[in-house]
Order: sequence, then structure tokens, then C-alpha cells
Amino acid sequence: MEPKLEPIVETFKSREKHMCVKGEGLSIPVCDKASLPGTVTQRTCVYGGARIVLMPITDSIHLVHGPIGCAACTWDIRGSKSSREDLYKKGCSTDLGEKDIIFGGEKKLFETVIELRKLYNPGAIFVYATCVAGVIGDDIKAVCKKAEEVTGCRVIPVQSEGFQDHNKTKGHWIGCDALLDYVIGTREPEKTTPFDINVVGEFNVAGDFWGFKPLLEEMGVNIISTITGDSHVDEIAQAHRAKLNIVQCQKSSNYLAKKMEKKYGIPSIKVNFFGLEQTVNSLREIADFFGDPEMIERTEKIIESGLAEVEHKTDEYRERLQGKTVALYVGGNKAWSLVRAFEELGMDVMMSGTKNGIREDYERIKEAVRDGTIIVDDANSTELARLLKKYRPNLLISGAKEKYIALKLGVPFCDFNHDRISAFAGFNGFVSFAKEVDASVSSPVFDLTSTSLRGD
Amino acid sequence: MSCVNLIEKERNAIINPLKTCQPLGAMYAVTGIRRAVPLVHGSQGCSTFVRYSLSRHFREPSEIAVTSLHEDAAVFGGRRNLIEGLQNVAIRLNPSLIGVITTCSSEIIGDDIIGFIKTAKKELAEKIGEEKTEKIKIVPINTPSFVETHLKGYDNAVKALIDHIAEPSEPNEKINIIPGMVNPGDIREIKHILGLMDIEGIVLTDISDPFDSPLRPSATELKPYYPKGGTTVEEIVDSANSTGTISLTKYAGSGAVSLEKKYNVPVELGPIPIGVQNTDQFLRNLKKLTGQDVTDDILDERGLLIDSMADLSSRYLHDRTVAIYGDPEITAGMARFVGELGMVPQLVLTGASNKEFVPDIGKVAKETGVEIDTMVGGDLRQMEVYLKDNPVDLLIGSSDGRLIAKEAEIPLVRIGFPVYDRVGYHRHPIVGYNGGIHLIDLITNTVLENYYEHQHWKLQQ
Repeated sequence: MEPKLEPIVETFKSREKHMCVKGEGLSIPVCDKASLPGTVTQRTCVYGGARIVLMPITDSIHLVHGPIGCAACTWDIRGSKSSREDLYKKGCSTDLGEKDIIFGGEKKLFETVIELRKLYNPGAIFVYATCVAGVIGDDIKAVCKKAEEVTGCRVIPVQSEGFQDHNKTKGHWIGCDALLDYVIGTREPEKTTPFDINVVGEFNVAGDFWGFKPLLEEMGVNIISTITGDSHVDEIAQAHRAKLNIVQCQKSSNYLAKKMEKKYGIPSIKVNFFGLEQTVNSLREIADFFGDPEMIERTEKIIESGLAEVEHKTDEYRERLQGKTVALYVGGNKAWSLVRAFEELGMDVMMSGTKNGIREDYERIKEAVRDGTIIVDDANSTELARLLKKYRPNLLISGAKEKYIALKLGVPFCDFNHDRISAFAGFNGFVSFAKEVDASVSSPVFDLTSTSLRGD
Repeated sequence: MSCVNLIEKERNAIINPLKTCQPLGAMYAVTGIRRAVPLVHGSQGCSTFVRYSLSRHFREPSEIAVTSLHEDAAVFGGRRNLIEGLQNVAIRLNPSLIGVITTCSSEIIGDDIIGFIKTAKKELAEKIGEEKTEKIKIVPINTPSFVETHLKGYDNAVKALIDHIAEPSEPNEKINIIPGMVNPGDIREIKHILGLMDIEGIVLTDISDPFDSPLRPSATELKPYYPKGGTTVEEIVDSANSTGTISLTKYAGSGAVSLEKKYNVPVELGPIPIGVQNTDQFLRNLKKLTGQDVTDDILDERGLLIDSMADLSSRYLHDRTVAIYGDPEITAGMARFVGELGMVPQLVLTGASNKEFVPDIGKVAKETGVEIDTMVGGDLRQMEVYLKDNPVDLLIGSSDGRLIAKEAEIPLVRIGFPVYDRVGYHRHPIVGYNGGIHLIDLITNTVLENYYEHQHWKLQQ
């Protein structure tokens, strides 16, 4: 079948094929291309990608080697919670100035690392390269190596020059590479069990991890590390001894799981703790992987009591949300992992899209959504506004930059990003999720946006 | 003893910054122009993280385009990205003005911005015609991120706008106001004062509506959508004909000085009208430039501020110690105001390294008769350490100090940028007499809540 001729919204010719409708010709949009210069892109840089993957390591200092802005605009902006340290919340920069640009910033970087180590004695110091570090050619690897020798503290270079790629996923991978090259496999666990796992791609935003960690523990698996939510660097160092990686955010972290499988022979399974059905499936899959009859039995009990605990707790919300439409426009993973959760609320996902999706991501979206769902790639601010105006979903799920675009158009919005307040994972998380979605969709405010005062 | 005790930061590392880089200031300034688009010539993060910061503070959309520089541009230059980017913005968004904002990478690569703009205009004229092309002003704004702070970026942007656009014709009897990086509430207050004085103003630039705009879906049906308000390009053109320019901050006076040099528009630089004496000074400057006298309405507003100061300051605020942190102009103004309230500005800290700051604080020290600890080019870690040995009764500054405040168990009065953990702060002024009233209410309520028992008899009168 030919691709749909009518563009989904008015846009540049070259952008038209970045949007499609499932079941009508192309069900996968053109993707993973550089954004058009001169658009208000919703994407970010490679540095941003690396930073969000590593930042949840709580006992570490995250030092940004560049002019002040790269640190100043990104410190403490991810709502990843910690049960222990709060070093990761600090905004540290080498604050490169004019002289450093001319003479190089390596000496300043070295001295800064030494200072930070003295002040905080962190588990590790991650040193992020920015565009400037790349352009002036600072050898951050060499500086980190020397600083590590002098301090005895892990000093880990992250080669995340911001302009490297159009896709911040490259930054996720660079963050993962830093862990693979410098952390994982550098420490042996004191004890091992047959049920050791890593929880990969879980960043404990709003405490999501704590919504399913107790379930895993009750099952009888032993969590060596989470990569990277609420983690310490020494825990990640032992990750190579796990028998299984479970991958929650597949967008950022499948890469890591695949590399660990190759290097250490650790198999991985994809899990999803958003939504009841997905939580149940994920728990069963983990239990099935280990094949231990007692664990399987325990797991069934956990599922039974988990479901019983939340039964009827979402009824009221579901009643109001029945048949309401939702548009997802997210970084990647949530574009497919949330679809079932919304369907469980009785809602209809009418659009799903990502800013940085690659072909395999869109394959997953295509599998997850119903026929007729609009699938968009890298929609810029203007396109997003047009999509919202034309199709008027009852809810947009996206991030902080998109929030006010939607609200200004009178489209309800719910945060499912770095700065959300409630944890949504696991059984109880689903109740919070239902409650927050309802609070957005059913808000009386949006009945008041149109006025008949003047008849317009 | 009254003097400034300058405390140096004895390390390289910046830990919890009190400043950001130049492009943010320029993006803020261009947003204050009607139907204008800031176009950042740099990496995607350079626009995206700033949009995030601005949206978080103002709770508004922040529309900033970017040329999306990638690795090939770092090697071969960003020529094609900028030329294409300019045309895409021009064709799709039909703006009145595009502010081309450079970044660290495009500055270091050495892109010939002016040359690229020329080429883009030529190509654009072939596509949409000369006339339409000429209508779109394209202003190059150099903002190397590795020099000074966001305030310098703002200053550079305002100067670039003036230098490229202002044109002398007939005198207009207006006053140019360069507000500095303040909130919509502050600009509205300044416009209110001008209104009471019967003075017409040109605000360079006016973010008050773009960063605090109504939710009216019918109004946003415009294609393409721009927020209401902002300074018009015509007003910027006309700024060369004004009676005078007042920059509310000496840290963003380059544009004003440029107008004076080129077109003999007299200039007054600072201070920001926070508190009684600074607002008095602002009114004197207005009077001096325009000849308009201060009206009864304004004297009444002044009287209301003095009235609430008389009601509250000696009873609740006197001798209470304060640490103030943030941008230099705002912290210096705030220090003077807390001095007027009988409080002690014990520590004043700014992230900028501008030398003018120390004498400003010296003046406040002299007036208040206290010794003021001062940090220039500082960061929040410096304040955190200081407070351990030198506690204060109150912190005044942005939300970025919230964790320090909590840890040190010192109440925080929020002002400046960014404020993201409370609401409404962008709407209320801290400048002018009305701003003073708002501030004294904020400060006193915070003191009452933290330093008095709920049943205390002092709360009753």
C-alpha cells in the first residue's frame, strides 16, 4: 500500500514521512535523522543523554568539564530518589573560561578533581566532556587516569561531547560505555546466590524502583545492583556476577544489557513495571527464567496479593477515564511501555511518538498500539502544537518543555518524566498513576477555557 | 565598624552554581520581542536545557529554535546549519525578527555569523522575494559561553538589538527602559510607574507578556502561534529617538551607552529600584530625563510602603541577620532594602565576577553601619560552608538554595531566578514601591512563621 498522501499535520516536506498512521501504508515513520536546523526541537544533546543515565548513581560526584551552562542548566533536574547519599545532586563544573579555551583545560580539570575528592571522598567522580572539551581537544581520559592514580578514587571519563550526534541515545550508550569500561567487573561480590540479578535501566524517578523492589526481594531474587537508580558505584562494579539482567528502560539500556551478555554471558529479559498486566507478566517472566518451583509459587502469591490489594482502588478513576484519548510524546521507552497501562484504565492511545526513537523502537511502538494510532518521530514544537490542536487528545503525556505548550492550548497534561512527583511502578504505583491521570483529565479547569462572554 | 569583608573562593571547582552561561541571557532578551524567534547556533542541548530552565521558572512555553550543530559542523563549520536554519525559521514562522545567538562551540569554531546571515538572506530572497526578506530583521548576537555570565549574554543581546535596529528620526519623547533579567511582575510594575508619571516607555526588551501569557485557546489559533505582547521591532527602531535611557542594571548598560554615543540619548545606569532609596533614585532619574514631576499617586504608593515598614520593621525585623545570594544587581538592591528595614545584610554573595559589585556593597555597609561579608564569583557551596560557622536568621535568593536552607534550618525567602519550588514569584514585583510592599510582606510572614510561637501575643497586633 502507498503511504498516506494527506500529511498528518502541515509541515516541511522532508518531515512528512516522520509521521504515519498504523495500518495505513507505512506503519513506521522515518526516524533517527538529524533534526532540521531552525526548528524548535524537543531533543537534547549527547551530553544530556549520558548525564541522565549516570546521574542517579548517588554516591558519586558528577563533574561537567565545560563552560558553566552545561552544569548550571542540568544539575539536580532528575527526580531520581536516593535512600542513602545525596552527592549526585550537586552541580559541579570546571567552569571553563577564555584562558582555558586558549591554553587548554586539562590542568584545571585535574585540580578540580583533586579538590572534589578531598571535599567529598565520593564513590567515584564521573567527568563529562562537553562540546568545548571536544573542540579544544582536552584529553580527559589521560587526566582522569592521572587523577585516579593520585587520589585512589575512581575517576571515570565520559566522552559525551554534546554535538556528537543528533540522537541523545548515543549519549545513553556513552554513559553505558563508561560503566562497561571502568566500573562493571572491577569488584567481586562478597557472596553470590543462584538468583543474582541486576535491574538495568531503572532510574528510580520519584521512587519507581521502590515500587517493585520489595516484590523482587519477596520472590527471592538477590539484587546485586540497579543501573543506575539509587545505586552506589561499588554495587555496579559487581554487576558482572549477576545471572540475569532485567531491563526496564529498554531505550537507554538494552545496549548495556547486550554488551554485558556478550562480555559476561549474562542473559537479559525485558520487563515493564508500568501497569498491572505488565507488572504481573514481568514478575512471572523473571520467575520462569530461574525455573525454581518455590520461587514460581511465591511469585504467584505475590501477584495474587498485589492484585488483591489494589482491586477496586482504581474503579472510580477508570469510570471517569473510560474512552478518553491520550497522546504520548516521550523520550523513547514510554512510547510503548505505557500503552497497556493506559488501556487498563480504559483509555485510548491515539498518538504515540518519541524524540529520539530508532527503528527498533518504532517496531515496538507499532506492536503495542492499535490500528489508526498516529506515530510521530522527532516532532518539533510547532508540529506538536499542530497535532494537539488538530486531534485534541484528552491528555498529553510528555516532559517539562511540552507541558506548557499543551496547557496553553487547553490540552490536559500529565508528567511522566524526570520531574514527576509520584512513583508509578508496580501494583501500588498503578493506583497513583490512575489517580494522577484522572486528576489531569478530569480537572474542572479545562471546562472553563472557552468563554461565551463575547460569543467567541 | 562598617566595611566589606571580601571572602575569596579558594578552589577551582564550581559546586552548585549561582550563574549560567551567556546564551541563556540572550534567549531571554529575544523572547521579549513581539513575534521574534531566538535561533541558537549550537548543540541541541544549548537550547533545550535553557528552554527547560525558563519553562520551569515561568511555567510558560519557551520557544527557542536551534541550528542543531553536530560533529561535522565542529570540523567543517556550521555554515550550512545556520543558513538553512535561518531560512526554515523565516519561511515557517514568519517572524518579525530572528536573534542569532552563538554558543561556545560556534564561537570557538569561528563561524562567520555575519557572512552566513548575508548568504541566508540572499537565498531567502530568491525563495520568498526581496520585500518579505527585508521585513525579517536578522540580528547576530555573540554570546561566547566561556566569558562572564548570563547577564553578559543579556547585555550583549540588548546591545546587538539596538546597534542593528535603532534608527534616528524624529524625537519621540519616550524613555527607554532596559529592565535587566527580572520577572514579568517587575516589568509590569515599571510600566505602572511610567503610567503614573504620564511617561511613554520603550522596554528593551519586554518579557512580561511572553513569559506570563493568558490561556485563551481562541487567541492561540493564530498561525503560527506567538505569545501576545513583547516589544515591537518598530519600538526598538524608535529607541534612537527617545528622551533618555534608564538601564535598571549597570550590568546591562552597553546598549544604553551605545544609544548615547551614537544618537545622544542620555543614559542613567542603575540602581535597580528595589527598596525605598533605590526607587526614589529611579524616580529622580525619570524626572531628570523627562522633566515630569512625581505625582501624588506615586507619593501615596511610597507612603504605603513606608507605612508598612513603620508597622513591621522594628517590631519583627530589626537586627535580624540575612544572607542574600544571586545576580549582582538584585542582591545589591536587596542588601540595601534589608538595611532600610533595620535588618543586617550579613552576607551578600554573587556568582558573577564583576568588579563593580564590591563598591556597591561597600556603600550599603556604610549606610547600614555594619560589616558585610561578600563573595564575588562565588557558588552555593561557599554559602553552605559559611553558614555553618556564621548562621543567619534568613536566606534570600533563588530556589537553588532550598536544600542548604533546609539543612541549616534557616527559612528562605525566594527571589530572583530560578524559583521553581513555589508558585507565583514571577508574577509579583520586587521593584518599585509596590515591589517593596510585596517583599516586606514576604519577609515578615516568613519571620513570623519561623520565629514566633503560633500563640504568641506579638502576632495579634
